[in-house]
Amino acid sequence: MAKIIGGLGTSHVPSIGVALDKGLCDTPDWKPFFDGYEAGKEWVREAKPDIAVVVFNDHGNTFFLDRVPTFAVGVADSYNPADEGWGPRAIPPFEGATEFAWHFVDKLVERHFDPLVCREIEVDHGMQVPMELFFGRPEKWPVKVVPIWVNTIQYPIPTPQRCWDMGKVLCEAIESWPTDERVVILGTGGLSHQLQGARAGFINQDADRAWLDGIAANPEHYRNMTREDYVEQFGSEGAELIMWLVMRAAMNEKVDLVHKHYYAPASMTGAGMVVLENAA
Amino acid sequence: MANQSIPDTPLFDRNGSIRGYRINKMAMSLGQAANREAFKADEEAYLDRFGLTEEEKKAVMSRDWHEMVRLGGNLFFILKISAIDPTPITRIGAAQAGMSHEDFLYHRLGKRAAHG
Repeated sequence: MAKIIGGLGTSHVPSIGVALDKGLCDTPDWKPFFDGYEAGKEWVREAKPDIAVVVFNDHGNTFFLDRVPTFAVGVADSYNPADEGWGPRAIPPFEGATEFAWHFVDKLVERHFDPLVCREIEVDHGMQVPMELFFGRPEKWPVKVVPIWVNTIQYPIPTPQRCWDMGKVLCEAIESWPTDERVVILGTGGLSHQLQGARAGFINQDADRAWLDGIAANPEHYRNMTREDYVEQFGSEGAELIMWLVMRAAMNEKVDLVHKHYYAPASMTGAGMVVLENAA
Repeated sequence: MANQSIPDTPLFDRNGSIRGYRINKMAMSLGQAANREAFKADEEAYLDRFGLTEEEKKAVMSRDWHEMVRLGGNLFFILKISAIDPTPITRIGAAQAGMSHEDFLYHRLGKRAAHG
């Protein structure tokens, strides 16, 4: 059967992509941020995944408000990067893990989820940036992908518990997939940031640092928090962190926190990552 | 979720989504290069195509980020307006917070030297 080889959590701030495009990675604003990801990249090189499941939200680039899926799953053969207003980015398209993605959709519906199933769709920085942070800028991505979109833009957004439940189904789908493929799961978004309202620019470094440890050792705490708690502690857009719960729930109860990194501010955001492995 | 339960933190709920639909739809369209060209060529005519009210047009044409959000604009959509005549997101944040850009970088984001 296929195997979960690790769970990655990371921010997906669009300015990270801009910094990569403009060659700003070694500037004082960005160097400490990118340096901290080297350990994560090294881990991915060693772990050699075949499939990356990426949990993220669209940012008004592929879904408009005319139809807002709470959860969507990609079953496309390939995904082009979306033009977010700045023109297309020079990164390769992502090849879809089509067969596994359909299997995951089957499992979801069996387990009473009702995802939107996407056959032709682009992916925005929510997926591009995490892939670049962990896989660099190859000519061709070394993995196939399964995008999972979570609505974190228009309320009502899903509850933390619902994201957790989806992670459990994801685990079941991987462990019942009859190949020897190695799967890594990326939960993305956050950390604390707020882009709208008079509290714009809100960053909560203490809560962010506690999150990076707590998501590994004590995820129950975050699963039990309300959406209001997320907005209050992490800012209105920081509530994206609920998407890390999909990744965390797919992992074992006990995990090793192999790497972590935190830097603030990346643009207007507390930014960071974790690498988790199931404990032996 | 209860609306407005956290001070100075508007959540993009049904009211915002309904109120901001025109602005957001127009902004979303700027993800296509041909539409960006049309916007640049005749901004007001472009906004009229999407049925924006006078109040909404004024907010967009004056790049009044605070007002656009008040009218239901969501940051993720209106960021595509900021790509037309490139505006850093921190300037949009400062406008939301009602602060100067320097103060915003220093006091909100914790940058050590606002000019650095």
